[in-house]
Amino acid sequence: MESSQRPDHPLLAARTGNLRRRRAANRTMETSAWIAAVLAVAVLVLVIGSVAVKGLSSISLNFLTQNADPNSIEATGGIANALVGTGIMVGLATLMAVPVGILTAIYSNEFAGSRSASTIRYFLDVLNGVPTIVTGIFIFGLIVTAQGHQSGWAGAIALAIVMLPLVARSCQEVLALVPGSVKEAGLALGASRWRTTVSVVVPTALSGMITGALLAVARALGETAPLLFVSSIFATNLSTDPSQALPSVPLVIFQFSESPTPAKHDQAWAAALVLIVVVLLISIVARVLSARMRRRLGAAR
Amino acid sequence: MTTDAATTQLSPLLAGKNRGFIDRFGDRALYIITLLAALLSVAVVLGLAYKIVDEAAPAMSKFGLGFLTTSNFDPVHGEFGAAQFIYGTAVSSFGALLLATPISVAIALFLTELAPRSSRTAIGTLVELLAGIPSVILGLWGIIVLGPVLNDTIEPALHSVLGWIPLFGGTYSLVGLFPAILILTIMTVPIVSSLTREIFATVPPTDKEGALALGATRWEMIKTVVLPYSRPGIIGAVILGLGRAVGEAIAVTQVIGNTAGIHSNIFLPADTLASKIANTYQGADPSTTIPALAYFAVILFVLSLIFNSVARLLVRRVQSRAGRAG
Amino acid sequence: MISRKSILAVACCGVLALGVAACGSSSSSSTSGGSSGTANTPLTGAGSTLIAPLMSKWQSDYSSRTGNTVTYGAIGSGGGIEQITAGTVDFGASDAPLTPDQQKAAADVLMIPWALSSTDPVYNINGVSDGLRLDGPTLANIFLGNITAWNDPAIAKLNPGVTLPSTKITPVYRSDGSGDTYILTDYLSKVSSEWKSKVGVGTEVKFPTGVGGKGNDGVSAVLSKTDGAIAYVGAAYAASNGFNQVAVENAAGKFLQPTLGTISAAAAAVKTIPSNNAVSLTDPPKSATNAYPLASYTYVLAPSTSDKADSLKEFITYAIGPGQSFGPSLLFAKLPSQIISADKATIAKIGG
Repeated sequence: MESSQRPDHPLLAARTGNLRRRRAANRTMETSAWIAAVLAVAVLVLVIGSVAVKGLSSISLNFLTQNADPNSIEATGGIANALVGTGIMVGLATLMAVPVGILTAIYSNEFAGSRSASTIRYFLDVLNGVPTIVTGIFIFGLIVTAQGHQSGWAGAIALAIVMLPLVARSCQEVLALVPGSVKEAGLALGASRWRTTVSVVVPTALSGMITGALLAVARALGETAPLLFVSSIFATNLSTDPSQALPSVPLVIFQFSESPTPAKHDQAWAAALVLIVVVLLISIVARVLSARMRRRLGAAR
Repeated sequence: MTTDAATTQLSPLLAGKNRGFIDRFGDRALYIITLLAALLSVAVVLGLAYKIVDEAAPAMSKFGLGFLTTSNFDPVHGEFGAAQFIYGTAVSSFGALLLATPISVAIALFLTELAPRSSRTAIGTLVELLAGIPSVILGLWGIIVLGPVLNDTIEPALHSVLGWIPLFGGTYSLVGLFPAILILTIMTVPIVSSLTREIFATVPPTDKEGALALGATRWEMIKTVVLPYSRPGIIGAVILGLGRAVGEAIAVTQVIGNTAGIHSNIFLPADTLASKIANTYQGADPSTTIPALAYFAVILFVLSLIFNSVARLLVRRVQSRAGRAG
Repeated sequence: MISRKSILAVACCGVLALGVAACGSSSSSSTSGGSSGTANTPLTGAGSTLIAPLMSKWQSDYSSRTGNTVTYGAIGSGGGIEQITAGTVDFGASDAPLTPDQQKAAADVLMIPWALSSTDPVYNINGVSDGLRLDGPTLANIFLGNITAWNDPAIAKLNPGVTLPSTKITPVYRSDGSGDTYILTDYLSKVSSEWKSKVGVGTEVKFPTGVGGKGNDGVSAVLSKTDGAIAYVGAAYAASNGFNQVAVENAAGKFLQPTLGTISAAAAAVKTIPSNNAVSLTDPPKSATNAYPLASYTYVLAPSTSDKADSLKEFITYAIGPGQSFGPSLLFAKLPSQIISADKATIAKIGG
């Protein structure tokens, strides 16, 4: 460091200042940092606490087994059809996004030159940054208008587009972490490239890929905007048919939250509780897996 | 997996016959499949951009760039302009980043420098969990919990103390720019703070230790070593957070009041580009209103492109510097 | 540790199961056990939020009677007109009749009035109870922004003995294409020439001032949160939310709130029904002494040729028949017999 050669460096200037003043400044900074962290955690507790307190009182077996009817002026039943709809659409979206994401990451890491790889990364970053409402418009114009009606498939595709960059980028990072020595060992043994990739590299990175997929699923579970025009006019019975529009839990929360009826607000809170529990559980599982993988890869080096 | 394990895994596979053909075929097949997947990923982005511009084309040709400076939304006469929505987007996002940046940097500092090592992961995880809360739930909380608190307590308090600033004018509302700014702040803090944490982690420890060895207090070390070093990266993180705030439709439309207008009082209702699309697209007139809303989407897409590219450049600069110095 | 192979195996099975469930269910759209129903094709409709509460009752009752599912999206009358014109739904629902231009674009769409209700001006003013009196011109001036405070002399004149606060007036309007907006603007255009020239009639107009809300739900939500707000909502929403309702002065000089009686009186005032069934009930003539000024029919927009013609005819016939029994509790008055006959004649025109 050049501070000794530059008499006007702030560090040297500081050294000649009042020690008490400097210590006070330091303490102010540390206090502010503590306050900021406490603030963030407090807000988290506040929000999740509100959901828990207000939602718990409205949750019942009834709530989970009856269907939602946004048209009705009284707050009816529950969110059964929304739970099923979300499960189906997110499930289908996962089926579409995870394979494409993993394969894209494999191409980018194994086959692409460095320029192609960074181009792919750029496009994935762009896709990640696209506002989800714009994705909704895209799928509406592409699929809903062409088909003439909304559908669960269109909703699943919209969600898959949201998930894809998350899966691909995290798989890219994980694949890049696989030690070169492992790959070279495989190739040295005479295994072909695809063998090495499929039987050696991917299994090494598997928990990381699962983590990426889980985080993408957690994100997709909470998305409302992509489905707003694409799967929002749904039947009030329990349907598992993705060729018609399916209800989804975040969308139902949205519709109930915009209503003036307190009873519908209660249902919104209860649905929010279900959603948040599932999302948080998946996020925590993903993080535990990720920590475990990092430990193992660290040991392998 | 260690190299030994790799050997163990592979040996039985490599022992079979007909390896040559399957291997060559397998290599080719894997290459083609993964190439197709990568092309699909790229195609989705290009297709999205094309489709949005295509939908907006009638409005873009009719209104041109003046669209961005006209304040109007008149479906009856087919006259549209984005200015008041751009205003709402700008004020809500910049306001959120104004609040979020110091808080995020402070949290990142806390987690990298100040927190007891044992609690770092726990607190870090808690902050990131905030990012996992679906935006519709934040909006619900904003409508039912935050809105009334702001309307009854905080806005009058702000007005009585700072009422001379036009920002905190005299009319309170349960919905408006203020709750939107706060909700967006809650959304962007986790993003900016986790990125900033990563950037702080690239600061060479020797520089930090050197400063401390010279007798600097922790704050002085941060001020003279960590922050200047990380500055481009922090800006990059903030810009990414900005991108998130600009694109948020659902939570904003729940709390902002859906009344477009340009005024200085942040307590009053307003509207943003994304929120207006969420509100109006369904059932809008495909010949006049939908192209205008698609034009909004084009603006949002272009903004996200710009933010993304700038942020990447800045973050890359920090990372390459870390690579050189490390 | 669980072997990676078994994780993969479980994952593949889960994936396969999902795929099978999704594909296998494309034939089953759950229909509850039902009796005969001549046509069992599910119907999809979209449009008016005014009729949504009644539609919700129809959906469940119709489904238990016939086993046939009706899906309905309450996206506003404007959206209903859009979608039936584009052919993306089997039927539309609108409180506003099609304009000549819209009818031209949707050449084969028939309008069939299937319910009778009203749009109610409602308000939320701290300190003012139910039944505030307003006349047409004053209402217009409020929504025009000419009258800005509740203690304005024009309002005070109509309400002697009522203490009016100085609270600012916040008009709340529909930000989406709305039949309620049509009914209100239709009425205001008849009673205020300034409104007619400045704003006009339509499902979507440029309100000079105020705050927007999406759907009857959204407007109700804004109203309940804003002191000094005045809005217009479908009668069912006004009643079920317990909003304070304006007593609007009709042409005969009486200040009336919407009730089944006053709504029916407005309908009774119209003797001739045009061939396209588009009837305006707003601002009834002086002779209808007990008529509510903002009543309206709400229409189903049905294509005259549709491959779901049988289902459509059955559903609409149900709606104007047994379905009407759910109306009164939601402030939908009985359809006059004249309208029912006209409806039946129009329904007969729906063919495959």
